[in-house]
Amino acid sequence: MKTLYLDTSSSFLYTAILEDSKIIKEIKEKLDNNLSVYALPRIEEMLKDANININEIEKIIVVNGPGSFTGIRIGLTIAKTLAWAKEIPIIPISSLEAMSLSAGEDYDYVVPAIDARRGFVYASIYDNQNDKFVMHEKHISLNVLLVALESIQGTTTFITNDNIEVDYNIKPYDPDISKIVENVMNRESVNPHAIDANYLKLTEAEENKLKEEENDNGN
Amino acid sequence: MKDVYILAIESSCDETSCAIVKNGSVDIATVIATQIDIHTNFGGVVPEIASRQHLKNITMVIEDCLNKAHMTMDEIDAIAVTYGPGLIGSLLVGVEAAKTLSLIYNKPLVPVHHIKGHIYANNLNKTMEYPLIALVVSGGHTELVYMKDEYEFEKLGETLDDAVGESYDKVARVIGVGYPGGPVIDKMAKTGTHEYNLPIPLNDDSYNFSFSGLKSAVINLSHNYEQRGIELNKENLAKSFQDVVVETICKKTLKALLDKDVKRLIIAGGVAANSGIREGLKKVCEEHGIDCSYPDLKYCTDNATMIGAAGYFAYKKGLRADSTLNAKSSVSLT
Repeated sequence: MKTLYLDTSSSFLYTAILEDSKIIKEIKEKLDNNLSVYALPRIEEMLKDANININEIEKIIVVNGPGSFTGIRIGLTIAKTLAWAKEIPIIPISSLEAMSLSAGEDYDYVVPAIDARRGFVYASIYDNQNDKFVMHEKHISLNVLLVALESIQGTTTFITNDNIEVDYNIKPYDPDISKIVENVMNRESVNPHAIDANYLKLTEAEENKLKEEENDNGN
Repeated sequence: MKDVYILAIESSCDETSCAIVKNGSVDIATVIATQIDIHTNFGGVVPEIASRQHLKNITMVIEDCLNKAHMTMDEIDAIAVTYGPGLIGSLLVGVEAAKTLSLIYNKPLVPVHHIKGHIYANNLNKTMEYPLIALVVSGGHTELVYMKDEYEFEKLGETLDDAVGESYDKVARVIGVGYPGGPVIDKMAKTGTHEYNLPIPLNDDSYNFSFSGLKSAVINLSHNYEQRGIELNKENLAKSFQDVVVETICKKTLKALLDKDVKRLIIAGGVAANSGIREGLKKVCEEHGIDCSYPDLKYCTDNATMIGAAGYFAYKKGLRADSTLNAKSSVSLT
């Protein structure tokens, strides 16, 4: 089954065309603010290099966040438009889960983390030995995350491409797309109209409104 | 000549819209998912919320439009999309969707400037003739444009600060009548009298506008009355404000028409729905033998139909974009 993998949730473009979980072609490229310009042309080039027509794609696996709000929407718009138009299954995966799946087995615990600014990160804690999350993904203060990590016994590594300062080992994120796809390809697909971003965070306007309402209720 | 069907996508602000337009003049189908109720809670459009809503709506809106038109993508000749100006996060959703459709169905991609869309909304009523002057008035724009010929644009002037619609919203907030302010103030002005003295902004020989000074004058007046414990008559303030807006718009527009010796005026943009501005311009045009037209109310606010109308003329002119097309928050008309 020809599968398109797409992750535009950071400053990098990670995309691949796979036959089942075997990579035919992949692209890993830092695009920063040019993601909106080059994400689709790169997919186009990749398909051309692989000698595959876009209409031959049978399944899409797309990272739906957390990460850069705009970045997430670029990939999701491409993916959901393609899935809707071609009536093919689309499966969303969290960026943090993709990161933990790519971390390797040499640490007991893996902490995928994405900078969310103002001292916050999007993060989760993955138990490598038991293959499960011990802390599900959260928008969390880095300090609170570090306190939570103190109670964990075992070797721990962060995985991130952002500039997050911690005393733990830090692995840069280099997605193992084959492994990610293998892990999620049999999950239930989502209706393309219904697939949505996993921002993990309300907009500032909504947060402020909630605070106002809480204050009003308190008075 | 063979009929040309354009599928158009517009997502520059808070409406996700898709339309199919025949030959730049016939509205085959239009679907608009509006977010007005969501943004009203925040007293104005919140860009990040708008972007999030666009992502949720985009494929549904396209599907509804094709269903409404009883057409398939195979019957579409080209895909037109608003690439700017507008809210960047909002624009990007429409642009990425249009680029993806263009790639899948191997259809030409036609980039359309949002203001050109507003102008060509007039072609959905009756065929536009040239040369003409276009007055674009909306929540984000106030521009005078000279069109010598089909799909040729020359910007004569624009607002130096707030757009006219923006100033309505801000004044509405000051008088405490809510959002969006335009329709409310327009309605209030109908029952008011011109009681308060407000300055005519940028009363010069240019084609430019300025509305922030006028807005400040309203705010100062309101504060002044508040301090003195006197209640302002809101209807009269609305009327006084609207009169000044209409006067400055009429003056600059007429100057453009006379200087360019043009006998046709088209009004475009959301504020073209404002009855005070419509009537003021109609009167000025009648006095000078100028043909004045404006789009149906439904085509005044943001919609993809107007993008499909403009897209047809852009397509005819051979304007194309490839899959590197990017959204731009600000982009000049020419």
